[in-house]
Amino acid sequence: MKKATAVSAGARVLVQVFLLALVVGSLLPLYNVVVASLKSADEFAVNPFLPPRSPISDNFVYAAMAAHLLAYAINSIILVPVGLVLYLAVCITAGYAFGKMRFRLKRPLFLLVLFLTIFPQLLLATQVFRLISLMRLTNTALGVILTWVAYFSPFGTYIMTTYFTDMPYELVEAARLDGASPVRILVSVMTPMAMPMIATIAIIGFQSMWNELPFSLLILQNQASRTLTLGIAMMRGEYGIGVPTLSAALVIAMAVPLVMFFIFQRRITLGATAGAIKG
Amino acid sequence: MRNRGLEQDGIAPYLFLAPLLVLLAAFIFYPVLMNLVASFTEWKGYGAMKWIGLSNYRAMVSDEAFWTSISNTAVLVCYIPVSTVLTVFVAALLREGLRGWQAYRAIFYIPNLLGPVIIGVVFSIYLRDDGSLNLLIKLAGGSTVRFLTSPSVAINSVGMVQVVWVHLGFGLIYFLAAMNGIDQGVYEAALIDGAGFFQTLWRVTVPSIRFAIEFWVVFNFIEVFARMFSYIYTLTRGGPGYGTFTLEYGIFSQGFEKFRVGYSSAWSMVLFLFCAAISVAQIRLMRARSS
Repeated sequence: MKKATAVSAGARVLVQVFLLALVVGSLLPLYNVVVASLKSADEFAVNPFLPPRSPISDNFVYAAMAAHLLAYAINSIILVPVGLVLYLAVCITAGYAFGKMRFRLKRPLFLLVLFLTIFPQLLLATQVFRLISLMRLTNTALGVILTWVAYFSPFGTYIMTTYFTDMPYELVEAARLDGASPVRILVSVMTPMAMPMIATIAIIGFQSMWNELPFSLLILQNQASRTLTLGIAMMRGEYGIGVPTLSAALVIAMAVPLVMFFIFQRRITLGATAGAIKG
Repeated sequence: MRNRGLEQDGIAPYLFLAPLLVLLAAFIFYPVLMNLVASFTEWKGYGAMKWIGLSNYRAMVSDEAFWTSISNTAVLVCYIPVSTVLTVFVAALLREGLRGWQAYRAIFYIPNLLGPVIIGVVFSIYLRDDGSLNLLIKLAGGSTVRFLTSPSVAINSVGMVQVVWVHLGFGLIYFLAAMNGIDQGVYEAALIDGAGFFQTLWRVTVPSIRFAIEFWVVFNFIEVFARMFSYIYTLTRGGPGYGTFTLEYGIFSQGFEKFRVGYSSAWSMVLFLFCAAISVAQIRLMRARSS
């Protein structure tokens, strides 16, 4: 990438040094966790920072089995995809309605959705908790999935709306002249064409649900139903869990998002800006 | 969005919107409305609500924890300009097409992938009094910084980690995308005029990405007011004392630890007002942008 630049060769070296220092500073906390996860409690006590002299895998086994991390991961692997499918269905249909259909209350309803995209979980938490227990969904997958889908849909809907709005209306018109019903137009014409943006909100939705805390903390109260994220949050400060074990748990938990990043890097970086750049 | 006066699609759009609207009604509107009601009552979260008028609000304004939460939030807000300046600066450096700029962008993005819970726990280990950062500080000849155990320092740790460190990676992607849209000719002209890096940054880049910077600031306000709970819960649990309480954490603490749900609802209404204001600012920006 050749660009007009006001930075001289000497300054470039300086800039590289600055950026490398920033990278090292940024990665130190993560390095710290990775090396701690490979140490025995005894070694960690005398050597908390340098690489392990005799690396062990016991911490990982303990975190996965005795500390139930494997079970929590399985919970997440079941909950999140189910939530994601519902989330996509809600965002795509609503986004299409806002983006390409004509109805009287469109503007006010869309503004309302926009208005709701930023509300913090804690603002809703006490009443959502009450609602969930009234519906007898405490400690159930359905309870937390419904809450997630409801909470994360406004943002996904907003992104889908901007995408559908920009698609040519002639597509809808042509399909309608062929006698296609609104459902058919959405399913067979618009959804396939919106696949790039659907993939983007799928990743955003996945990350949101996978990392979600306060709702899962309040709704999933018995240990067996915890998600991976909730399990990690609860493990911190738990009696008898030392730094090496906790670190091993963190390394296990980091694996999923990092692997995702290596596979979907381009789409994730696109998704990061989808909400704001489109405007 | 402009279809007024054209033929309407009848009932179909409402059916398409029904799943979203039903969920929003149940999980967002109803909770906000009930919060308002509950804020005038004494209520444990179960059983009967007892109407007590404005007592919760009176108790709140004389509650030290409430004002600490507000001032803590103000401290976090002060990290927004720090984060903005650093991020725009680094993005401008990467824009120069330095060797490895894509690798830098990817590495700085890692914290955003890991999510608040992992980040919070990672730093709860890293920033301990006997943790690695303090070890390094001591090796460099400094004395222990009580990052998480001193109330006045802890909120700054939250600000540095969550507002500055975590957002750097997201901001780089965001600002680099915005800078990509700037006409290269403007930079060439600046270069011919003999403008240096900082002059170009200030005179060309910053004005050209003004909208992006405004969005970024609003985004950061959202993060500070509405997305801090998971970090604080995992990093400090609100402590030491009320050291890292924010409105969100106070609602959690009052509602779910002390079971004073009526009282926590009064806090919620304050948070609601802040968030409503930020939301309106964001919608206005979007409007200004698209017109």
